[in-house]
Amino acid sequence: MTHEDKLLGRWLNTNHETRGIAECTVARDAYGITVSITGVGEDGPIQWPPARATLLANVEEEAGQRTRALLATFDLGFMRAETHMRINKGVFVIVLFATFLDDSGRANYLNREFFYRQP
Amino acid sequence: MSKMQFAQICDLVETDPIHARDIDRGALVGNWINSNPDTSSIARVNVFEEDGKLQLQAFAVGQAGPGDWGTTTANVFAAGPASRVGAGFAATFNLGFAEVRLQAMIMKGLLVLAQFHLFKDDSGRESYFMREYYAKTHEHFNR
Repeated sequence: MTHEDKLLGRWLNTNHETRGIAECTVARDAYGITVSITGVGEDGPIQWPPARATLLANVEEEAGQRTRALLATFDLGFMRAETHMRINKGVFVIVLFATFLDDSGRANYLNREFFYRQP
Repeated sequence: MSKMQFAQICDLVETDPIHARDIDRGALVGNWINSNPDTSSIARVNVFEEDGKLQLQAFAVGQAGPGDWGTTTANVFAAGPASRVGAGFAATFNLGFAEVRLQAMIMKGLLVLAQFHLFKDDSGRESYFMREYYAKTHEHFNR
């Protein structure tokens, strides 16, 4: 399994009471890597439009090995979410920088959530 | 008034309008020095305000001493959509041969700086990600 392969799969939030990202799926096709995110909604999950990811060498070392990280931007119309993702000690970490593009008056903000691989 | 849009329920908040200038940047402003003295990347960063905007100056380790990347404007991010407390920033340095995107957040008093080095030249170098930690110092950097 390559370092890239280790990122692939369905990742579930370690916090079952999250009000943010419930899960994330990383998939590969002929064109590269795609990331799909499901947010927690009022009446059920909210599927975000998938985003193409840039695959980067991760020069942080995990167990003496260099791994991979992903950079992906989600365009939700009213909000842009710039994210990066990596695995740290088996935990998939998503760091999100949200910029609101509407006139709702909400503050742009950042968030970090942790995910485990679906068994 | 139209219904507030959201993609995760934590974004469904009621708040008086918060403008970028309303967000407290006190924790972000300062001179930050890399916790790793042997770093081969950004050794220190100077975060300051000018004309109401957050500015970022970075000094990277060079072959002949620190290399000044110059100054770029940073976008401030709060701790949440209803927060007025600055928790991080994002900025991009265009170095010509490469673009370096930065995403920074404050954690336990440290500035955690995620760096995305994206090569634009034909050197064949692979773009890479790294994350380093910076402590606020009272040392005054030249700028």
